[in-house]
Parts: sequence; C-alpha cells; structure tokens
Amino acid sequence: MHNLIQGIGTELIYSFVIIVSSLMIYYSTKEMYELSSYKGIKYFRQAFLLFAIAYFFKSFIKILLVYFGTSRILDINIRYMGSITLFMFMFFGSLAVFYLVHSLMCKKWNKKSEIVLGVFYMISILISFIIINTREIWVFIGASLFILAIAIFGLYLTHKQSKEKKKKGSMHLIYTLLFLFWILNIIDVLIQIPSYFYQISLYLASIGIFLTILYKVLKKTGSN
Amino acid sequence: MKKRGRLEIIRDILKVIQENRNSIRQTPLIRKSNISTSKFKEYFKELLEKGFVKEIKGDSGERKVTLTPKGFNFLEKYKTIVNFIEEFEL
Repeated sequence: MHNLIQGIGTELIYSFVIIVSSLMIYYSTKEMYELSSYKGIKYFRQAFLLFAIAYFFKSFIKILLVYFGTSRILDINIRYMGSITLFMFMFFGSLAVFYLVHSLMCKKWNKKSEIVLGVFYMISILISFIIINTREIWVFIGASLFILAIAIFGLYLTHKQSKEKKKKGSMHLIYTLLFLFWILNIIDVLIQIPSYFYQISLYLASIGIFLTILYKVLKKTGSN
Repeated sequence: MKKRGRLEIIRDILKVIQENRNSIRQTPLIRKSNISTSKFKEYFKELLEKGFVKEIKGDSGERKVTLTPKGFNFLEKYKTIVNFIEEFEL
C-alpha cells in the first residue's frame, strides 16, 4: 500500500511539473506569435502543448500500471482502456517531437512544410498503431529509435544550416537531450525497468531539461 | 545588400509611419519603405487585416496611414521576437 501511494505520488509530481512547464512555454509565447505570425514560433509552442498532453497520458498510464499492479499497459483490458491510453500517449508524444523538428525546419521546407507535417501525422498514427498491436520489446525499442532518428536527423540539418550561416546557437544540445529523454520516457512506459534509482534519475533529468527551456523562454519573452 | 525577411519588412513599414508623426500617405510610404508596389500591397493588406495600421482622412481630405496600438506594440516587441527566433533557432 505504501509503495502504491509512493509510486502514484512520484508520478503525479513529475507529470505536474512537466505539464505546467510546457503550458507556461505555450502561453508565454502566445503574444509573440499573435504579433509575428511566425511559423517557427507557431510549431514551437504547439510542440510544448503536445508534450503537455503526452505527459498527461504518460502519468495516467503509470498510475494505471501501479493501480492494477501490472507491468504492461496492454494487459489492462477494461473497455480497451490500456490500448486507447497507450495510443494517445504514443500519438501525441511522437507528434510533439515532430512538431519541434518542424519548428526548426519549416523555414527551409517553406512551401513543402504542410506536406512534411502531413507525413509526420501519418508516421505518428502508424507508430501508435504498431505499438498497440504488438507485445515485442524489440518493436518498442525499434519504434522509439525510429522517432529519435528522425529528430536527430532534423537537428543535424538545422545545425549544418546554422553553421553555414555562422549563427551562434546554444539550443541544439538542449533539443538533443529533450529528444533523448523523451525516448527514454517512452521506453519507461513500454518496458518496465524495475529500478527506483533509474526512474528518479530519468524524472529529474527530464524536469531539468523542461525547466531549462522554460527559463530561456521566460528570459527571452521578458515574462515574469 | 542582405535580403530583408518578412518581419524586417513589416518593421520597416511601421517604423516609417511612426517616424512621420504617425501619419503618412501611401505613395511616400512605399518609397520610404524601399519596397516594390506589388509587394507593398501584399504587406499592407496583411497589416490592415492584423490591425497594425488603419487608414484615416487627413485635414485636407487625403487618405493617410496611421499606426494602431497593436502596431506600436509590434515595434516595441520586434527585438524580443527576433532575439527569440535566433535563440531557439526557429
């Protein structure tokens, strides 16, 4: 009973911090987007809204796992609750990563930008369907690595572009860490690793990344 | 000369209006904004739709362009927006 409360408590605090940080990023960039109508800002803030939704489903899944005392979400069969929640989590989570990549790349893609976004939607739906229809660990890892590969490739292209333009930017490392830890969060849901130390380290690192981004956003937007 | 981006052009148009005591006719505005007439029409339509500028009648009945509070707000926030875009590499 004590472990159950501790597990749910940790999960709720973790999700609360990430969701609030993401929503603060979303709302503090609202005026900036309304004034500029700049597409990069639009997709950047939508990415964090999607992260907030994905983390909501993540915490819901983890609470279900603790409550039902099982290690696999697909084992929960109450009116397809497990499958639907996992689908939502994977869909919004993948889309959040793709939106962030899109915010960095949309200037380069220009008119093809909407087509690329459509492709990202299709990939997210496909990955989510594959995940809820399999129980193979290697498929889970493969799908997660596929999302990470697309994200890292997008980052590499923008990094190359900013190097050519000799632009100074400090965000590539933070974006890379954000993507990496998001993938670890996906794996944390799909494959239960029975180590409290691992979980806490993952949670603290993820919170650190989101708070760093929030701090930079608030500093740049001049919000208090 | 470096090609101006969309936000920079909008800033330049609004700045010309502001520097002319917030009231200027379209013809000198186009000339001072250093932009072609066809491009200006595109931008001007956007500025009207977004409520950054409005058209008023001057003392002698000629049509003039003036900034709205939203237009002033854009000029005030322009640097913040550009810095944000650069910082987050958007």
